[in-house]
Amino acid sequence: MDKAKKINIAEDAPAAVKVKKRKSKSLDRKKGRLGWFFIAPFLIGFVLIYLPMIVDSIYFSFVKIEAVRGGGYNPIWVGLRNYSYALLEDESFSTKLIESLKQLAFNIPAIVIFSLFMAVLLNQKMKGRAVFRAIFFIPVIVSTGIVESIEVQNSLAEAQSQMTDISSGTMSSSSSVGNELISILQVERFFSGMKVGNQLLTYVVAVVTEVYSIINKAGVQMLIFLAGLQSISPAIYESCKIEGASSWEIFWKITFPMISPMIFVNTIYTVIDSFTSQSNTVIVYINEIYGKAEGNVRSTAMSWIYFMLVLLILALVAAILSAYIFYQRRD
Amino acid sequence: MDKTENKIKKDPSLMVFDKKTSFWVLLRYKYLTLYFLKKVLWAIFRFVLLVGISYVIILPYISKISGSFMSREDFVDTTVKLIPKYPTLDTYKAIINDNGYWSAVSNAATLSLLCAFVQMLTCAIVGYGFAKFNFKNKKLLFLCVIFTMVIPHQSIQMSMFMKFRYFDIWGIYGFIAKTFGLSSQATPAISNLLNSYWPLGIMSFCGIAFKNGLYIFIMRQYYKGVPDELEEAAYVDGAGVFKTFVKIIIPMSIPMLVTIFMFAFSWQWTDTFYTNLFFTDTEKINLLPSIVKIPKSLQTEYAAKITYEKAIRNTCGLMILFPLVIVYLFAQRTLIEGVERSGITG
Repeated sequence: MDKAKKINIAEDAPAAVKVKKRKSKSLDRKKGRLGWFFIAPFLIGFVLIYLPMIVDSIYFSFVKIEAVRGGGYNPIWVGLRNYSYALLEDESFSTKLIESLKQLAFNIPAIVIFSLFMAVLLNQKMKGRAVFRAIFFIPVIVSTGIVESIEVQNSLAEAQSQMTDISSGTMSSSSSVGNELISILQVERFFSGMKVGNQLLTYVVAVVTEVYSIINKAGVQMLIFLAGLQSISPAIYESCKIEGASSWEIFWKITFPMISPMIFVNTIYTVIDSFTSQSNTVIVYINEIYGKAEGNVRSTAMSWIYFMLVLLILALVAAILSAYIFYQRRD
Repeated sequence: MDKTENKIKKDPSLMVFDKKTSFWVLLRYKYLTLYFLKKVLWAIFRFVLLVGISYVIILPYISKISGSFMSREDFVDTTVKLIPKYPTLDTYKAIINDNGYWSAVSNAATLSLLCAFVQMLTCAIVGYGFAKFNFKNKKLLFLCVIFTMVIPHQSIQMSMFMKFRYFDIWGIYGFIAKTFGLSSQATPAISNLLNSYWPLGIMSFCGIAFKNGLYIFIMRQYYKGVPDELEEAAYVDGAGVFKTFVKIIIPMSIPMLVTIFMFAFSWQWTDTFYTNLFFTDTEKINLLPSIVKIPKSLQTEYAAKITYEKAIRNTCGLMILFPLVIVYLFAQRTLIEGVERSGITG
């Protein structure tokens, strides 16, 4: 600490500027070295545990595991067989990959637009704002892990019952209490009057039927947008209003460019989140494979293929979006 | 006096409203304007929309709650929608008695508290390290943090299992044991850490557990917003780097820490992936995922079996969420404040 004091004193004397510069550099470096202590837990964990796990995982995707009597396991090198199994022999894996890609292409715009819209709404001053924010925050806490897996179990059970219903010819009685939000027929009837394209109709119908899951997935994104909206200085809005801009113009000319880095972050987050969530079709399938014979190595290979795909899409999305981002320069 | 009134008549925007202005004047100049009408219409539209979406969010929980009180007959009765005709607590009783609810909750509470606390501290420390210190390869190391965030944990599912089943850092012990013939096993290891709190504890301590990358990221962004002058003042007053961190930085960032704690706690609480992976033997340690099953006393075969079992599973979910809701209610204010201040905005 003596050094810090000395530097402060040195600031007064112009002759000592050179000395000060050199010393502060070394102090900075000395402090920088202390930084290693702070990140030590992560560094140790990453090098000793995480990295070996990644390496092992890549290795395991090229082998076949044989349990050895008396404890332990014996890996046998099989080359690319697990990968070729996943891509060529297992028919449902590739179809599920494509399915989840379609799902993603559908989900990203829906979730990002919805969460931006809701964040703008919730950012306005009104009565009961705290209550609405709390309600919108519920899915973030609740709809992960166990509850999600219960939903998956329920829908599986329902699908099974429908299968048996068809075979046995009895009436299905599985209309549940919660799933009757809006009937698809109503939406279709509503839209059939307007002469819009069939594809738009199917998209809207899909959005409406998926509205629950979209709301559920948009929680974190909404919070990120809210934080972003609050960081925009009110002075800008004020000057816009004085100049006579309407709210519509203000949104597109001020809010939208200012929030565009958040749109980027949220799109990336949505991609990662929907790819790794427990209810993703591929993840469900990988989990299912994991339990089967030779499934552990095969599911590892599958998830590496899947991860490569995710990386590819992330890079693609990032490349497309980063061309349009506006960064406010702050000093 | 007359002059000002005339002026106002010519241009109503000059008018100043206070408590003395009569109702009719107010009505004429304030409430019956297009501007006010627009505002009211927008407020109504916004309110309806928000209520509608809140309804969509809350309805499933309401229907789950009402379903949990329904008896077996209610599921066959088509007239029953939300309010059960024969309300009963049998489902709750059966889950508590048959599925070992209390032991699961206490085990999960220990595990989640442990993990959340350790993760909170680790992520704060690591985040501070990344935010305020300049050292070599900092960017590369931070890229590693992002890396742990992006990799889907299904990719390392198996190697994670193997790592803690045959726990051995870098395989050093295994190599020694193999070369010297100390062990008869094909893959010797220091110990088997499955079915204990160790795997999650170790991963939490190292900041590589579930979503820890996100927490480190959030803490880093937060600490970046803390002005350097604050720490410099502490240094000038004679505190070291560590003392500054403990005495100034940590107390300052309590809302953020609570947020991280809550996230870590609730995500660990509702987690199925790691619990199913590391706790293979439910006889030994009974955790929350294992109580999601149909209790023995309620197993039946009848027309609405699927719906009934669905309701039972949902009830299990509700009972799992119940302790979480209580914690959430207490921490709600700090939590939302913390999330809004999390400075993900950069």
